[in-house]
Amino acid sequence: MPNFISLDGLKTTWSRFQRSIETEAAEEFLELLLNAMRFMFTVSHRYRENIKDFQGRYQFKSKDGGLTMAATFNKGRMTVKEKVIDNPDVTIIFRDGKTLFNFLFSPRQDILGAMLRQDIQTEGNLNYIYRFGFLAKRLQLMMTPG
Amino acid sequence: MMTLADIGLKAFDLERLPRLRELRRQSFERRPEICIERARHITNYLRYRDDPEDAPEVRQAKKVSHFLHRKAPRFPDRNLLAGTTTSKPLGAPLFPEFFALSLWPELETVSERKQNPQKLSAQDARELNRDIFPYWMDKSVLEVARKRFNEPQCIKLFESLVFFIASKAGCISHAVPTYAPMLEKGLLGLMEEAARHEVRASNEASETSRRQVDFYQALQISLKSIIAYAANLAEEAAQLSAIAEDAASRQELAEMAAVCRRVPANPARTFREALNAIWICQVGIHAENINMAMSPGRLDQVLYPYYRRDVDAGRLDIAGAMELIGCFWLKLSDNVIMVPEASEEMFGGAGTVPAITLGGVDAQGNDAVNDLTYLMLRVTELLKTRDPNVNARYHYTANSPAYRDRVSEVIINTKAVPAFFNDVVNIDALVGQGETEAHARDYAVIGCVELASSGRDYPASSSVMLNLSAPMEMAIYGGKRPITGDTQIGPATPPASAVTSFGQFWEIFKTQLDWLIAQAVEMNENLGAVHQEMMPSPLLSAFFEGPMETGRDLIQGGARYNSSGATHIGFADMVDSLNAIESAVFSEKRYRFEELVAALDHNFSGDGYEAIGRYLKHRTPKFGTEHPIARKNAQNLVRHLYTTYQSYTNYRGGTYRPAYWTMTNHAGLGGISGAMPNGRRSGELFASGITPVSGAAPELHACLNDVAALGGRQVPGCWALNIKYLPESDVGAMTERFAHTIEAYFRQGGQQVQFNIMDYQMLLDAKQNPERYPELMVRVSGYSAYFKDLNEMMQRELITRTQYNLTTGQADPFEGEF
Repeated sequence: MPNFISLDGLKTTWSRFQRSIETEAAEEFLELLLNAMRFMFTVSHRYRENIKDFQGRYQFKSKDGGLTMAATFNKGRMTVKEKVIDNPDVTIIFRDGKTLFNFLFSPRQDILGAMLRQDIQTEGNLNYIYRFGFLAKRLQLMMTPG
Repeated sequence: MMTLADIGLKAFDLERLPRLRELRRQSFERRPEICIERARHITNYLRYRDDPEDAPEVRQAKKVSHFLHRKAPRFPDRNLLAGTTTSKPLGAPLFPEFFALSLWPELETVSERKQNPQKLSAQDARELNRDIFPYWMDKSVLEVARKRFNEPQCIKLFESLVFFIASKAGCISHAVPTYAPMLEKGLLGLMEEAARHEVRASNEASETSRRQVDFYQALQISLKSIIAYAANLAEEAAQLSAIAEDAASRQELAEMAAVCRRVPANPARTFREALNAIWICQVGIHAENINMAMSPGRLDQVLYPYYRRDVDAGRLDIAGAMELIGCFWLKLSDNVIMVPEASEEMFGGAGTVPAITLGGVDAQGNDAVNDLTYLMLRVTELLKTRDPNVNARYHYTANSPAYRDRVSEVIINTKAVPAFFNDVVNIDALVGQGETEAHARDYAVIGCVELASSGRDYPASSSVMLNLSAPMEMAIYGGKRPITGDTQIGPATPPASAVTSFGQFWEIFKTQLDWLIAQAVEMNENLGAVHQEMMPSPLLSAFFEGPMETGRDLIQGGARYNSSGATHIGFADMVDSLNAIESAVFSEKRYRFEELVAALDHNFSGDGYEAIGRYLKHRTPKFGTEHPIARKNAQNLVRHLYTTYQSYTNYRGGTYRPAYWTMTNHAGLGGISGAMPNGRRSGELFASGITPVSGAAPELHACLNDVAALGGRQVPGCWALNIKYLPESDVGAMTERFAHTIEAYFRQGGQQVQFNIMDYQMLLDAKQNPERYPELMVRVSGYSAYFKDLNEMMQRELITRTQYNLTTGQADPFEGEF
């Protein structure tokens, strides 16, 4: 798999994803991010290697309770669900889509700043967030030509 | 003993010390690189060789020993001392036991990031991502604490970052070991001592003696590993000497090989051997403990016998000694901390703050300043490097005015260092903590400003960093904070509208403050318990009085004196807020409390709130002006904090010691805090350390008197007072006024003061044109930094700090624009 992905489906998802980050739409941003990750794990052996032996359960919630999503990693596979899961390793509670984007994905990931401003609150193991941050950044680098 | 003809040593400059000139140039050119060597070896050890049945001290010793045996011997430059903290010329070591995993999101971008990049090779990034970081997912100190204590509220408060910081999640370090016994006996001598104790303890059949046996074994394993590292250095130096192309290099490397074969295993015989032995042990300590504020202490005292002997024997001259001291200073600068981009706002630009302490008095109370004190001052003046953090003790009855004046001159010439410490008050503060007078007189500075009897006191001095704006807001909003929304954080105290007197508000404030302190202490105790299990320090314990005698590791309370430090962010802003509430709401009844709260809610904007803001900012009493209300509130707050902290006993059997230094947290926390009753708008930075709010204290003598009035036994952790002076062209005249001001401030009770000798315009220019000021060093709050490395908020704070004209004693108003 080359560093720059050119698959049409993924490019479409990516374009939608980039549009979503211009807005405050948390639901679309998070859903697109998780699905883009899942898709990339499927098609890219190199990307999949990052979760080869990883078991992790992530819960995402918006502060207003309007959005609940979960991502689980197990034996090199990623699953995305719109539901509350049992025993997440970490729960990320975010104010809105923009803050979640800044937290996870902006060129300058503002993890501490988001926590300082209470835009993001976490419950559970912070190391899982750092690992997720790497996966998100890796995806971003793979999708960016040059 | 003083023998120097010129204590300023003006004849010795960098032209005469070309090695130091070149090493300094290289030091400024180096860019930090992340070193994964330690992380790799300790992870491999724990993954494949660790025996969970071993006692915690033995596990730790074996882990560190595994690393030190494999640590690569490096000779990156022509420094005369052997040994490096990391495998890189300027390295940031990773400690996965703490926050190394926070680097994970930027493994592929850290080398190129805009602010303070740290180079990381693709190969090392891959190893971290695949092999090292995954192992530690559930094993860092914080995560072990979370699991063991079932995620208590104190962890949630800590992780929200806006109430307090519990530094043990990131390190303990912060200590001043004593190297004198090591120099005298060698590590082999210390190991023999431990072996004798081990035999004695093993002949007794008790749980205590069994644990003592474990500790003595761990200590021996640890010291043996330092000797192994020194042997590897010797071998490498010998090999490099054999292939060196020029005779001078061959000779230097051969000498280094000989030194490393001798020390630190055996007693040091010369000044050079003593310095290199200390440095190798310092490297060993950093194999076990994170590189933060591990302070070599009173080197002018410890090294003086070796210097004197060499000079008297004709083996060493002043230039040679200065060259070796400079080499040591630059070795102390060979490492930085790994700072993820996300933490730049809080800690950006900080060094590792190894503190050197000079001057003061000896154990008998006599003048301890000697020739070496002046050599070290001169080296500091010439090198002007961020680390080490050099501090000068001054005893106004025992030390000479000439020494005081010379320290003042060095500060003016470097524009920033050293910091000045008052022996009279600081010794008394430590005596107040139960230390003997002789031990208190042997205090040294840790990291930023904290005090410790050298090698006797294990103070974990940055255990708690409490944000004082949190209890202020909780007192105003009935136990809630605007930043955390409607969540009930502290006790549900009456809302501002129901408060009828300042006395009642003060009680409410104390209720919230005490509750928060209890949470911070609980967090520290939890982390302390995890450290006892995961991160004992048998290697560091070898360089303290107490562990060898008692058979107990430092983390188990083995040191002669034990304590935990608690420092405070936003002191002056909160004192001024108390003043404003007392004055504007209750004494003068200018505004009702609910009006003041409404103004806070609107950030002093619109609907008459601007006028309220102006009144609060300009017409209410301010700390730093000698106003009786301000002085009373400052003293009450200091007294209350002292009494409250001292009522706790920590996991090592010691007390909590309050302090007032802030590193860069006053900028980071100020930047996200709401409006305050002193008229400070939302997002404006808090004042640093114990310094009055910028612009609030127009007269220098009133500022110094107000701060000095707080000094003494109630501030055993010391403080950082930042003063900015307008530079003057007549350095001689300025030095005289400078020194007299220090004298007066100390005689009033001031504990510490540090300076920036620079003006608003120059700092504004440095912000706009960093390329013109590549070496501009500034004092932040307890430590030095290069101005260009600081984040935007911290640069603004430094620029707007009150600038005093020493001639007039008045503040110059800041009229610049960003």
